Amino acid sequence: MTEDRQLVSRTLKGDRKAYEMIVRKYEQPLTSYLSRMTGEREAALDFAQEVFIKAYCSLASYRPAFKFSTWLFKIASNHIIDHWRKKRLPTVSIDQPIEEEDGPMMPQVPDPGPSVVRRFELAEIRERIERALESVPEALRELFVLRHVNEFSYEEIADIKSLPVGTVKNRVFQAKELLRKRMEAS
Amino acid sequence: MTSCPRPEDLYLYLEGELGPYDARKIEEHADDCPACREALAERRLLHEAFTTLAPFEVPADFARSVMAGLPEPETRRAGWLAPLVAAMASLGIGLLGFYVFTGQRVFGVLASVNRFFGQIIAQVAPLAAKTLKIGNVVLKVAGDIVDMGFAGLLTFSRLLGPEVVILVLGLGALLSVLAFFGAKRFLQGEGS
Repeated sequence: MTEDRQLVSRTLKGDRKAYEMIVRKYEQPLTSYLSRMTGEREAALDFAQEVFIKAYCSLASYRPAFKFSTWLFKIASNHIIDHWRKKRLPTVSIDQPIEEEDGPMMPQVPDPGPSVVRRFELAEIRERIERALESVPEALRELFVLRHVNEFSYEEIADIKSLPVGTVKNRVFQAKELLRKRMEAS
Repeated sequence: MTSCPRPEDLYLYLEGELGPYDARKIEEHADDCPACREALAERRLLHEAFTTLAPFEVPADFARSVMAGLPEPETRRAGWLAPLVAAMASLGIGLLGFYVFTGQRVFGVLASVNRFFGQIIAQVAPLAAKTLKIGNVVLKVAGDIVDMGFAGLLTFSRLLGPEVVILVLGLGALLSVLAFFGAKRFLQGEGS
């Protein structure tokens, strides 16, 4: 965190090498996030470039009281939301439990049915998760990716998305159960 | 046996997000409940997969292409703008204080200094002497304008009394210092 602050401070003084170090540090987490959000490799790289340029242009507004990574991902999240709005992609309300073909998505007790994961090896499970992730509503998918791909804490995600921590926890859970159900159905 | 935990608590347990009391409750319950034990094992494997998804492979020249697309930084002007504002404010306060407490015209003193150097240089370089003479005229005109403003302020300050004048000058000096540090931090984006 201190290293990020120093790099930001040096960048603001005109040291472009410092910003290149920031780009190198965050290029992989950012593109890992954006690739899951766009579902396309090239689009993820284009978005990542735009996010880094946007961050650079508004670096003077960064407040060191906050973590640089959450600030950067906030920009990325807003950028991707703008993209969805422009494309007017169909969205699913996440205020209500998501209905699956066999009823509401969230059981209130653990499902004692046959274990889906037993059927697959871990590598195959990952592949299936990646595929199933594309069909998860963006708002749930985003929180899942921030939590498990980017390894942000629930508090940091709440900060990035300006949501209560409880809401973030609930939506990450919804995403995971939705993935489990989709894998079970496949 | 305690009641079955909520599925969301199973995930929070696996992420280490539950406190030791709640975690222990889930472990004890899973020992006695085959359904929950099964559910926990399944989610444990899923959790392992969730947390080991492959990272995106970034092309080696990505950072370079980002850097090539960056515009010129807009923050550079902040480096001189804040000190300039503070210096101008300090100069104004200093001139006002000098005039109020000594009654001497600052520009008159400056003109005398200028004239002194002018006389020396006049013997060496006539062109430089002419330039200094023009400078003297400019200083005199500027001095008269500023003196008029100060004279008005002096009259006003006499109405207020010396204590109030000192207070105002002190506040002005404080504001100059704040302008220097505050404006610089704000313009460079380092303020909290």
